[in-house]
Amino acid sequence: MRTYAPADAATVLGRVLEEPSLTRGIVHHEVIAAREASFADMPAWLDQRIVTGLAKRGIERLYTHQAEAIESIHAGEDVVVVTPTASGKTLCYSLPTLQAIAQDPAARALFLFPTKALGQDQVTEFGELAASADLSIITSTYDGDTPAPIRSTVRAAGQVVVTNPDMLHSAILPHHTKWFQLFEQLQLIVIDELHTYRGVFGSHVANVLRRLMRICAHYGSKPVIVCCSATIGNPAELAAMLTGRPARLVDRNGAPSGERHVLLVDPPVMEPASGARGSAVTLAQRWAMPFLRAGRQTIVFGRSRVAVELLLTGLRESLRESFGPRSRVRGYRGGYLPTERRSIERGLRDGEILGVVSTNALELGVDIGRLDVSILAGYPGSVAATWQQFGRAGRRQGTSVSVLVASGAPVDQYVIHHPEFLLDNAPEEARLDPDNLHVLLAHLRAATFELPFEPGEAFGPAPADDLLAFLAEEGHVRQAADGRWYWSSENFPASEISLRTAAPENVVIIDTTPNRPRVLGEVDLFSAQVLVHERAIYIHESVQYYVDRLEWHERKAYVHKIDVDHYTYANRAVTLKPLEVFAEAPSTGGTRKHGEVMVASLVTLFKKLKFMTDENVGWGPIDLPELELQTTAYWLTADRARDHWRRDDLDVALLGAGRAIQTIASVLLMVDPRDLGLVTQVRSPHAEEPTIYLYESVPGGIGLSERLWQRHDELLAGAADLIAACSCDAGCPACTGPRLEPNVDAKRLALRLLTELGAGARLAKAG
Amino acid sequence: MTAPYAAPSSDRLARRLARYRAATPGPGAAGDPLPYRASASRDLARRLAAAVDGEMVDGADGVYVRVERPAIDLPVDRGRLATLPGQPPPDRSLVCLDTETTGLATAAGTLAFLIGLGWWSGTSYRQVQLLLPDQGEEGVLLDEVGRHLPPDAWLVTYNGRGFDWPLLVTRYRMMRRAAPAIGGHLDLLPHVRRLFRHRLDDARLGTVERMLLGVSRVDDVDGWEIPGRYLGFLRGGPAQPLAAVVRHNDEDVRSLARLLAHVEQHLGDPEVRSSAPRGDLAGLARAFRRERRLEEAIDCLDAALAADPAAERVLPLSARPIPEEPWWSPRGRVDFGGRPERRRVSTGWDRREAFSRPWDEGRIAVDRAHLLRRSGRVDEAIEAWDALACGPGRTAVVAAIEAAKLREHRSGDPAGAMAAVERGLHLADRRRARGMPEPALEADLRHRWRRLRDRLARAAA
Repeated sequence: MRTYAPADAATVLGRVLEEPSLTRGIVHHEVIAAREASFADMPAWLDQRIVTGLAKRGIERLYTHQAEAIESIHAGEDVVVVTPTASGKTLCYSLPTLQAIAQDPAARALFLFPTKALGQDQVTEFGELAASADLSIITSTYDGDTPAPIRSTVRAAGQVVVTNPDMLHSAILPHHTKWFQLFEQLQLIVIDELHTYRGVFGSHVANVLRRLMRICAHYGSKPVIVCCSATIGNPAELAAMLTGRPARLVDRNGAPSGERHVLLVDPPVMEPASGARGSAVTLAQRWAMPFLRAGRQTIVFGRSRVAVELLLTGLRESLRESFGPRSRVRGYRGGYLPTERRSIERGLRDGEILGVVSTNALELGVDIGRLDVSILAGYPGSVAATWQQFGRAGRRQGTSVSVLVASGAPVDQYVIHHPEFLLDNAPEEARLDPDNLHVLLAHLRAATFELPFEPGEAFGPAPADDLLAFLAEEGHVRQAADGRWYWSSENFPASEISLRTAAPENVVIIDTTPNRPRVLGEVDLFSAQVLVHERAIYIHESVQYYVDRLEWHERKAYVHKIDVDHYTYANRAVTLKPLEVFAEAPSTGGTRKHGEVMVASLVTLFKKLKFMTDENVGWGPIDLPELELQTTAYWLTADRARDHWRRDDLDVALLGAGRAIQTIASVLLMVDPRDLGLVTQVRSPHAEEPTIYLYESVPGGIGLSERLWQRHDELLAGAADLIAACSCDAGCPACTGPRLEPNVDAKRLALRLLTELGAGARLAKAG
Repeated sequence: MTAPYAAPSSDRLARRLARYRAATPGPGAAGDPLPYRASASRDLARRLAAAVDGEMVDGADGVYVRVERPAIDLPVDRGRLATLPGQPPPDRSLVCLDTETTGLATAAGTLAFLIGLGWWSGTSYRQVQLLLPDQGEEGVLLDEVGRHLPPDAWLVTYNGRGFDWPLLVTRYRMMRRAAPAIGGHLDLLPHVRRLFRHRLDDARLGTVERMLLGVSRVDDVDGWEIPGRYLGFLRGGPAQPLAAVVRHNDEDVRSLARLLAHVEQHLGDPEVRSSAPRGDLAGLARAFRRERRLEEAIDCLDAALAADPAAERVLPLSARPIPEEPWWSPRGRVDFGGRPERRRVSTGWDRREAFSRPWDEGRIAVDRAHLLRRSGRVDEAIEAWDALACGPGRTAVVAAIEAAKLREHRSGDPAGAMAAVERGLHLADRRRARGMPEPALEADLRHRWRRLRDRLARAAA
């Protein structure tokens, strides 16, 4: 197999499949057939210059999805375009923009990208398209790097303004009077990478868009909103939640694609006793080698920056040993200089670079052309992200290969052993809650600053008067004699909001190791209790820090670098009190509910645990005040379970089932497992019945719990599946959580409970 | 296909709010417990008018408060003023303008609640102040401001280019109206900085009054207190604290006129000007130079060098350090909100120091020599540089180079240029010997020396 003769991907795959050491781990091999392109004619109304420009770039006809999107936008309809990577989404909004400006040079468009780098790519691409259509269009990026003298030019003359939500929120909207030329003539708002606007960030951005639409209405413009998204479960719903308006879904992909092989690979079990598996990083490396040797462009995704560096070093080393093209393999991650990144992207496009190892930095729409092979070292956390990363390989003709190498983590193991989960094409849903009160009120302040509210004017679902009256009590807002609500404070409310976090208060972590102390990061108050209490070992980018001092009232933690063989684990005692039930329904063996809850969290002591063995080597007290978190939760009760369960068994069963439900919930809803907290109560003081609560760790919640409530059955079935399929004997961290006591079969107890709660029906069906 | 997005019912939001309200500590923690009290604009206007000794103007479209001040006699010779750089043409009317606002950002939520206006009729200076009694009455107030701004008039402000005027334009745009047209804008701040910086602690208008005009204010209100006083009034608090704000603004608007008169009287006439502090003259020379009025600039510097420094009556600067980056500084970035800027890393060289270096004889002479060259008076320029080359410090080396350049390229005297270069090298050597090497200047000199040597050799051959 040690050959350097160039070969196509199908041939190399054929050879690899004859290699027993690699084929042993293959859990599933799926071949997705090639697709023919389906074309539509250019719309007759399209400006002739644009048609000519497209022809110059080799585009004679449009794909059907492009044509559908463009026709809808032309008819003034909001659109959300959902097609795979590299199917020509950009054209769906750049053609209508060109058309609008070709018809009327005064017309303006606003392009929103979640990050700066993506925006810059699009400016270049859009500029090239405009140039080949002989249209001179001023396209300008407006972000934190835009020099001050250029800013005023952008404001006055930029026909297409490319920016990000943070800039829109903090620099454009509060200064809208300086942008009146843009807002008076705004015809098109483009929101690319829609799927990134979820959770807290999405909830903030939804409110920024509410503010944007108010300003547009003030200046008399009625822009059409075009969203583009990677494949997610609920694109149209997400667009509607984000923009507050229904949008037409365009998801019938007309772009061609070649044959694709998807392989799900599980590293072999190394230690049968503990079930420990080989490293995903090493195996991913071995899969990449034959393709690189045969000259196939390959991308390898690592889960972290460290993993990327490990993979890169390993690949180069193996290539060096075998005299392969090691200098043509590069790394790519955050922290690399922009110029370096640009040169790597260019190298990938023109084939100069053969292999690249990347974090999810290359998952978003950075243009690197199409590669032959993509290999994922670890499940990236969501089906949508998996397909984004798979999609980096895939030529329009010829075979492409996508490999997912699982790690030992519970989520990875669940996914890899349920291929239908990945391949049935039902990716997760993105959730956000624009009416999270914390977020809503913060943006209502900013909105009042920007423009007074008419009495009865809505902000979101309802007239804002009650909320404004509340702000008036704080003294920031005032109702004048004309009935309008005005901003009446010296503060600049937009500067008090960061779009990327929910809680306004964070603990700043300060590293005192260097001569000049530097800020290491921030954690929210809730996490600070367990992560940066005094004498904790705080781990940041795999470096250990010792917390010398936590000044709770100052919200500052002082740490220094340390190298020890243990980590700390703080015990959080959480109590939970339901405040209001939004909805409830009977379920098998109990009731499911969702609503608002008050979570009280008290941290009193921490343990020192050895790495690898988790051996307890000491403990210490923690003296921190109790924290209250008002949020939303989903909970289920096991009615009558107390009648026929031993209390101790029930305790273990609730916790084990809860852990598994938590894992499945994070998989289904595309969130970090830490975004959902778990509380179980054998005898709930409030519900009386044994209860499992899953609460959102974001204050006020972002709509996850309502969705969990709706998907109750899937959750239970998934949890039972996860536990049943786990290769451990009596429960392990991968299914029911760490074992608290020996000789307790958490696995059996949790499964029994889940079956009583109705998970059995589907299990039986699947089994 | 459109997705069914069920917005949560508004009463759920209301209940969320009720619980949030219960869980959040009430106002009072913020230190401003004034409750909101509904009152009609007329009541507010009446109270305001009584407190600030003004009259309530009650029109069909709304109500505002107007304070008229007694006119003062303040003659300004407009013809003479117009001879100075950057000043308005004599036939345009001038309107002095200063606003008091609810914040320092020129963003949409900052309100101009007090607009002070001043103008000349003949030699008398008249002033009127317009006050906003309630946020809903802004339209009427802006109309009234517009009536005081004839379309060809020049605005006279202090930092108004960056603040007051853009803020007013913002207010008009908030009302979806065009801002009134103006003929021009004389912002006195850059002029003060250019002319008087050398003898001011900072460039605040209050400091200018005290150190330049000899006016001192009694019971003045600090700028940072002003927004709070007005917002307190709007929320139902007393109007009385605003009386001091109105007096403050009145003084500001008057100072604009006094400052203009001061500039005209002390610097407008070339005869009078020659007895001005030499720093003023050096600054004025730079102002002339910006407009390429080089002869006048040279005259200013000649006058400055002729003046007797001992006779100057300039107040000593306070010993306090220069503030980090004062609010009015042109180098300060406009506050767009958002994340605070990261501190720039110090490069060891402080521009502020260079900026506020005193105007000593040497510095004036350097400016003069540059000007002479630019105006084509080559022989005089050479003479000036030669004189400087005999002087002390690094300047002498630079002067030697400049003299050599002019001799070589402008007056065709390579031998003289060679002499100047050798003098420069000698000076540089001496500085090196004293531990102050000038590598860049030395390299320049050596390069020049070689070229001149070859050129002279060729000429000899």
